[in-house]
Amino acid sequence: MALLELNRVSKSFTHAKGALRVLEDISFSVEEGELVAIVGPSGCGKSTMLRIINGLMPATSGQVLYRGRQVDGINRECALVFQSFALMPWLTVKANVELGLEAQGIAPAAREKRANVYIDKVGLDGFEEAYPRELSGGMKQRVGLARALAVEPRVLLMDEPFSALDALTAITLREELLDIWQARDMPVHTIIIVTHIIEEAVELADRILVLSTSPGRLVADLKVDLPRPRDRRNEGFNALTDKVFSLIEERA
Amino acid sequence: MAVAAILALFFEYKRHAPVLRGPHLSVSARNLPYYAFCSFYRMLAAYALALIFSLVYGPTAARSRAYERVMIPAIDIAQSVPVVGFFPAAIYFFVALAHGSRLGVELAAIFLIFTSQAWNMALGVFEAIRTIPQDSIEALDAFGAGGWLKLKRLLLPACVPKLVYNSILSWVAGWYYLIACEIITVGPAHYRLPGLGSYLMEAADKGRSGELIAGLAALLAIIILMDVIVWQPLSTWAEKFRYEFAATSEPIRSLGMLEALGAVGPGITRAVRSVLIPIVNSIHRAQRATPPFNPAAYPILVRAGKALRVAAVGSVLLLTVYGLVSGVAALIRTLMQPWPAEVKRIPAATIASMLRMIAAYAISLAWTVPCAIYASESPRFARRLAPIAEIVGSVPATALFPLIVIFVIHVTGGMNLASILLILTGMQWYLLFNLLAGASQIPADLKEASRSFGLSRFATWRKLTLPAIVPSLLTGSITAWGGGWNALILSEYFVYRSKTYQVFGLGAMLDDATYRSGNGLMILLTLLSMVLVVVLLNRLMWRRLYDVATERYRMDY
Repeated sequence: MALLELNRVSKSFTHAKGALRVLEDISFSVEEGELVAIVGPSGCGKSTMLRIINGLMPATSGQVLYRGRQVDGINRECALVFQSFALMPWLTVKANVELGLEAQGIAPAAREKRANVYIDKVGLDGFEEAYPRELSGGMKQRVGLARALAVEPRVLLMDEPFSALDALTAITLREELLDIWQARDMPVHTIIIVTHIIEEAVELADRILVLSTSPGRLVADLKVDLPRPRDRRNEGFNALTDKVFSLIEERA
Repeated sequence: MAVAAILALFFEYKRHAPVLRGPHLSVSARNLPYYAFCSFYRMLAAYALALIFSLVYGPTAARSRAYERVMIPAIDIAQSVPVVGFFPAAIYFFVALAHGSRLGVELAAIFLIFTSQAWNMALGVFEAIRTIPQDSIEALDAFGAGGWLKLKRLLLPACVPKLVYNSILSWVAGWYYLIACEIITVGPAHYRLPGLGSYLMEAADKGRSGELIAGLAALLAIIILMDVIVWQPLSTWAEKFRYEFAATSEPIRSLGMLEALGAVGPGITRAVRSVLIPIVNSIHRAQRATPPFNPAAYPILVRAGKALRVAAVGSVLLLTVYGLVSGVAALIRTLMQPWPAEVKRIPAATIASMLRMIAAYAISLAWTVPCAIYASESPRFARRLAPIAEIVGSVPATALFPLIVIFVIHVTGGMNLASILLILTGMQWYLLFNLLAGASQIPADLKEASRSFGLSRFATWRKLTLPAIVPSLLTGSITAWGGGWNALILSEYFVYRSKTYQVFGLGAMLDDATYRSGNGLMILLTLLSMVLVVVLLNRLMWRRLYDVATERYRMDY
């Protein structure tokens, strides 16, 4: 049984002048341990899809199955990482990381211990008492990552996590993300990452799902067989990047 | 100190002001259009003055740090002065100035409304110009765009959203004080000002409930029409000039049945624009057509200009010095009078009034905070509440004063509850509007994060909603207390069927001195204690809290 399965999911938003179809008839499944990238032009509904998977919003039709059970409401075995980081500006790094743990009703002492573990893991040791506004963009996203990892989810959902960062910071964070994904002591083995940066998808993912725009349809499901660690100058890397690019371009 | 001098100067004129009985007020629905017109034209006149003032004052203050350091604190002080308390003084001053004609009372009312409108508009213009992104200024400078083009393409457009928004607030405040002025003139003062306020008061006093309701309906109609025909289209138009690229700007200003009427609005906006744009353009063209004027080529003009400037600055300086000297002299003369025994009761009265203010503030908080929290959870509720609250909140509470007081006096026999209720009407809307604005600005991704991590409702309030609305709670509180002090003056002393109802407090003391004993010294001292309390509260409590809050609960992340 697949860990996660989307079955003919559609989503439309109603507004004053009728309905806007965002996603149409999306079906795919994700196995435990996979790193799946969803790419598409802006406005193709890929972020909406991530929110449907997390249970933040319901699908208009179709179903999302998690371990064979229909997702209804927030799926607590997923954790979401935001493009804008979405940290509470008035909470310290530690309090932000503890947010999800507090919601689970974990006792303060255990909470603190676990938060510290993940703050160390993302390399923010020593910044526990800092406020988000005192940190650089890359460090803020490390907090966002630590906050998501701290709840020890089965699936990590990432919505354009490195798009708001400068290119060099993004490269470092991508490498760190791969390290975390491959580390045996981490509970999270499955990652779904939404991005519009094609190279990012090719560098990270086992599989790339390509979406078209208005309405968002699944146009390709590509397996990435390039050996890790991947080199951007590699011929296969470039060939795949070109392929994804042309897939998106011909649908746009 | 300056306030004291101005006050004393005002009261100096009292001796010259002849007692003036205004026109007879007939309470009949037939005369209602006339009264409505009287009130409306006062509002319009005051607003026009406030607009000109803000367009001169704001840009000037934004020109340099040195100007800002003087001009912005001056506005701060002006804002914290309870305007209503100055009305009797203003009447004496303007009536004397107008040689005892009725025009003086009119001028006093317009002046008072002006003071309730001008400050926040001027601040709005100042802030708008100050927050223009440096890039935009540099872009125009790089094209070599000069003064007029810069004004037309950058400075004025940048002011539009803030100016329109603050104009709406200013009209709400203006109505409040206009009605207050008119009520005061019917009540204890010796002047009459025909208008909706005086009509309402007179109708209430004579127990004519039908006419009272007709008057309230007329007022409500004017306010709703203004909102639908002028303010809604203007705010939509003003949206074009915003700098932010806010993604989640759902239209909250729409009220089904009024939409049809709203269609009239864009037409009017278009008409206004079709008149204004040619004027602006022709000035621009004319300015471009004339060769660049080089004053250096005409030495006489240069010298004349210099002389003129020296003369202007000199005369302003002289006038200021004269005003200050005579003000201080008047102050000293007033203070030299024997101090009445009542002075000793001022501290106790201040405490009594403070307690009433705190009670009203607590009641306001008790319903507005839950409202804001609920609005942050349910966009639907927020969408429905906003237009209703806007209409209800823009009805000047002063218009309901006669009704409330008479009702409460009949029920409880005393003024205490009525007084708290009246202060409440002056406070609650500022809190509600600020809190709703704060709640609507909570970023969607923070809400999503709280939900995604499974925060309970209570935990979301604690971690997200409440911290996020703290800055707007404080802004709202500061304005609410400002409104409260004004309402206090009106609320502790009430004349109904030639019987005076009053409670023990600073406002009542001020009114008593103004209307009954006419003791200039007492008026001066009570007003000064009020200003002192307001300024101290602002400096020692609100400002500090606000600084801490904006530092800690700012929405940058």
